[in-house]
Amino acid sequence: MGKRPPHGQEAGGTARKRQKVVHEAPTHEEIHTSRQLMQLLSFDLHQDVVRARHGLQSLKVFLDALLGPDCDQADRLAILKEYLQFAGPEGQFQTEGDESQVYLSDIMQTWSHASTNGIETVMSAVPVVLALLLRLLSQSLDLVPFGLGICRTLLQKRQLELISRNLSAEKSKTFVISPTLRMLTEAISFDGGAIAKPLFRARASTFKLLSRNMLIVHIGEEAEDEKRPSARTTAVLFFLSALKFLHPVAKKELLSQRDVVAALTREIKNDPAHLTLSMLNGLRDNIMLDDKVPREAKANMFNTSTLVRISSLYQARQSASDDSMAASIPDVAHAFLTTACTNPSCGVLRQDSGLYPRDVDPNAAIPDAELDELGLEAIVWMNKFKAEVPVRNFTLLNLLQNLRPWASIKQNELAISIFRVAPELVANYFINTKSFTFEPKLSATWMGYAAFLFNTVSLPIPDHFCRGASFPQLPPPTSLVLDNILPLPMNQKVMVRSLTNKSNLLSFFATRLLVVAIEKLDTAVRMHQDPSHANIALWGEAARRLVDEFCQRSPGIKDVINSYRSIPEQDILHREAASRLLRLCYEVIPQVALMAKFDVSPLLEIALGRLAKQELEDPRDFALSLKELENLLAIAGYSPGMRWFSALEGLTLSPFTLLLKVCVDAPRGVSLDEMRQVLNSVAVEQQLVPASTGHPRLLPLLETLQGLNQKKAGSVAHIWSFLDNCLTRCATTPIKYLESMQDLIKEATEGSNKDAVGSVISPLVVTILEQMPFVVSATDPEVLGVLGRFLPKFFGLLVTAGESKPLLDVIYSKISQLYKDAPAKLSQKRISDKLVFQHNSWPPAGSIAARPSNGQATGGEGKTLETDINGEGLRRILEVADGLAADNSALVKWANKTVDELIDEGYAISLVTLLASEHASIRKEALVNILKMAAKIRQSEYEEKEQVWLLLSEVAETARDHIEADPLPSPAVAFACHALGVVRDPLSSLYPKVNQFLARGPVWSLDRLPIVDEVLLEEPEVGDSFYTQLNWLLQYLVDGLRTPRDLELFHKRRARGPVLERLLSLASNPYMRLPLHTQVLRILYRATGIEGGSTTLTTRFGVVNWLEAQEKLCAGSAKGGDDERLGRIYRALRTRVWRTCDRERVGVWSKGGIADLRGEAESKLDGEDVVMG
Amino acid sequence: MSGTESTSKSNQEVASEFASYYLQRITKEFAEDLDKMRSADDFRNEAMQVLVGALQQGISMFSPEDQRRVVESAATGKTQ
Repeated sequence: MGKRPPHGQEAGGTARKRQKVVHEAPTHEEIHTSRQLMQLLSFDLHQDVVRARHGLQSLKVFLDALLGPDCDQADRLAILKEYLQFAGPEGQFQTEGDESQVYLSDIMQTWSHASTNGIETVMSAVPVVLALLLRLLSQSLDLVPFGLGICRTLLQKRQLELISRNLSAEKSKTFVISPTLRMLTEAISFDGGAIAKPLFRARASTFKLLSRNMLIVHIGEEAEDEKRPSARTTAVLFFLSALKFLHPVAKKELLSQRDVVAALTREIKNDPAHLTLSMLNGLRDNIMLDDKVPREAKANMFNTSTLVRISSLYQARQSASDDSMAASIPDVAHAFLTTACTNPSCGVLRQDSGLYPRDVDPNAAIPDAELDELGLEAIVWMNKFKAEVPVRNFTLLNLLQNLRPWASIKQNELAISIFRVAPELVANYFINTKSFTFEPKLSATWMGYAAFLFNTVSLPIPDHFCRGASFPQLPPPTSLVLDNILPLPMNQKVMVRSLTNKSNLLSFFATRLLVVAIEKLDTAVRMHQDPSHANIALWGEAARRLVDEFCQRSPGIKDVINSYRSIPEQDILHREAASRLLRLCYEVIPQVALMAKFDVSPLLEIALGRLAKQELEDPRDFALSLKELENLLAIAGYSPGMRWFSALEGLTLSPFTLLLKVCVDAPRGVSLDEMRQVLNSVAVEQQLVPASTGHPRLLPLLETLQGLNQKKAGSVAHIWSFLDNCLTRCATTPIKYLESMQDLIKEATEGSNKDAVGSVISPLVVTILEQMPFVVSATDPEVLGVLGRFLPKFFGLLVTAGESKPLLDVIYSKISQLYKDAPAKLSQKRISDKLVFQHNSWPPAGSIAARPSNGQATGGEGKTLETDINGEGLRRILEVADGLAADNSALVKWANKTVDELIDEGYAISLVTLLASEHASIRKEALVNILKMAAKIRQSEYEEKEQVWLLLSEVAETARDHIEADPLPSPAVAFACHALGVVRDPLSSLYPKVNQFLARGPVWSLDRLPIVDEVLLEEPEVGDSFYTQLNWLLQYLVDGLRTPRDLELFHKRRARGPVLERLLSLASNPYMRLPLHTQVLRILYRATGIEGGSTTLTTRFGVVNWLEAQEKLCAGSAKGGDDERLGRIYRALRTRVWRTCDRERVGVWSKGGIADLRGEAESKLDGEDVVMG
Repeated sequence: MSGTESTSKSNQEVASEFASYYLQRITKEFAEDLDKMRSADDFRNEAMQVLVGALQQGISMFSPEDQRRVVESAATGKTQ
């Protein structure tokens, strides 16, 4: 078999190929008269194609010229008008008003003839000239009637068939399809859409195969020429014109054609820029923002695929950046999508219920008994949405899943604006975006993820969680709230790795993310604690659960601390963020923060040291470093064991003096208020300065030092060591100096015969006096010189601050004498003979001493109260949820848990609390289970198993003989619950005390409150942990006071006085911090809620008078300060005691005294209750 | 309220000066890591814009008061 010859050699080889149809260009002639035009276009059944094309082409050239830029068109226009009159119905002797009046009948006949005979060139040429003609006629008012006539002619049956045939030409015949679409575009928009309605009515012909025609795209490597548009471009423009001129009902009908809607955007990515822009603008103006278009129609148009395709424009034409129109497409698409997705009237966004998933009723009625018994477990859907969250906004969800928010700022913005308007999507999005891993890596993608997550976490929580006007009955699912605070990709493992990553940038970003997350958690918890909730206990439980789950998902406090410690010293931005994170941990999740046994002193001293060294050249860096310092100071405020007056290794000054030094040396203009507040509060606490109202605390000292520095820079440096010595001595042995002061007062009284009793001066001055001889004997002329300038000014300022002048005179003369007696070589160093008085208008002491109310206290205490506190406000501040509330499900829940879970996750505690249940059967069952649990723990590998076993066994033994008849007293149960936290942690400062207590015997005395004496009377044993231990004790006592029987234990006579009496004397300590004060007041508040509690408090402990006395101590303090705030709490509590006591009995007991006392205040508060209520 | 003193800056001025300080500070602190990131495989197209946007996010964590404090410390510090 031979080879097949090549095509060229084969005779007639070309016959095998499809013959290329070549349309020869038609000829034309110039038009001079209308008659000529008539002749050229006249129809003759036997005319040949060439003649027909010649005529049409001549008309086309004539119209092109008319539409061209040539100004002198009047003659031509006159010719055209004459022709139209001839070719109109009148010229053809048709009857006026006849619906079948045909304009341009010759042309129409030519078209019809061509169509019948398949002469495509003519089928194309007719719509070409008609489109041009309509465009021309629309420009001149007196020609419009002709245009309308032609349009109506097109709508006649015969012409509609021609249009239909043209539109359904083969796909390759774009030269037929495109002009027809162009002609229709002109027709539908002619005279403001005058015939749009009938044209759409005839859609079977006029819109025939529109979707197919929309997909006939330009083929070729070069870009589509705007002057020779593809069939798709023409079809889309026709569609857009239709949208512009159609009635809303017709638009709805048009948009219900799914194939058209789908075809419209299918090729959008490859469309020429002008078409894309026209399309986006057209869709925006004529559908999206058209209020008359029904929502359903909009939803048909803006379905998932439309939106996803439009979102593909974000990547459009990055290469064609030289084309300004193309370059603007991503911006226009972004604006379009943002409006479409966030404006509810655009038909895409559906109203959701915030953090409540679809199909969930947040106000479902659940019987109170069920809620009381099962808590959150009574809500069937509470735990249902961890793996799947049903949503209403499917379209938006699908769009979100097609976005790449990590790779583009605009897509990030779009996703975030969708989350903002549809918060229901956040949880669902991250659950379903499994590929979204956040493993730390120095890459653009990780950075983009981090930015996206930051924006997500920064979004506000919807009002009332549901965007309603008030909170629903039931709290939202915890998992959903958490997913909005810490989205799933920010899991513990990933965040720990990021936080402790060796790349500082990754660690910095992780820190920032956690900062915003904890701030959001704080807001969410406060919302859970809002007093307007119908079921406060239930919401309280949800808040606790939220915090627990947050802690499980976020990195541990140790990781936060380690990350902070590893930050290079010069990275002040990073250090500021890390210190803020740590501070937030203390403020928002103190239960976790305090577990870490973190000693802030070293970090604080490093920060102080760095600032004191003045190494930062840029004052802005200094101000930023102060922010870090403020955060550390706040943390120090939460750590009762902060060692203010002991210098760490390597540092010569104590932290307190360093802080003072930072304030003195700070560049002018840097705000130091927060640091001054800390200095003042520590100074008062440590009795360096008088605590009396109106005293400006440390301000005289600060001003004197700053004054010296200004006069001669660096002069203060000589006396820091001396001052540090004095401050430290005064702080560590205040009593000594207070006693010395008494001696001086005596001396002053004797010397001048003036009564100096009750005189007040700063104990620090006494210390200075005591230490001066050593300075003189050390014979350092510089120090003596600076002190010679410092002391007169300082003492002078103290006098103007209200301190006793006679007393200061005595001290000053003693110091002057020391100078006079100084060795000869120091004789040139003098001290002024007089005190230098200065008059300053210091703000009242309270405003300086007052700590900011930035969440220093726990719970709702951070809020500044403007007016007196009413009953509700007091409840918010002092009420603590019942820590021993019975959860009967604990009986079964523990069985399948590991020992770690039993102890760490509270299952053991839940079981122990059941010993206080009012049902004997529950108590007995709990007892059996506790013993089983104790045995299980003892057999385990748990490190502290012996101690935990001992505790559980002892509480069981103690309960065994009593629970048949009564619940175990709450203090014993509360002690057991709180002690569990101690025995599992050998580093706890209470560990020795609790173990000694447990070692005393297997059964506890139910007549006593365990380890009260040990904490209140004995040495703290571990460092300076008295206040830490006291805090623990007060917490357990609050939980342990629930019933009248418990109250008896609190007021029972004992060797060292009733416990309540001792608590009251404890709270009289003016140096105790506000949180501890509040704990004592919480115990009192609890007592007032117990039957007979207020009466007992009043008649046995004189609590009304005690509260009144405390209130007076706080009187006069600065508005907004801790003291002033505390004063108002005392007043409100006094009112509550009066309201809840047996007034008759109390009235008899006090002989009417208390009733008189209450009169004024109560009437005021009653009024407020009404207003607030 | 700004503008109470003739010398104090408007809120907008403060915000813009703080933003520029913040960016300057952050690029200084993390210069090494930022260089590494710029040479990462996926650092293309919009990555630079995304990176700058991400760096700027931290500005919102400073309250207007804190921003003013930092910015104005520079002004007064220089006049000393």
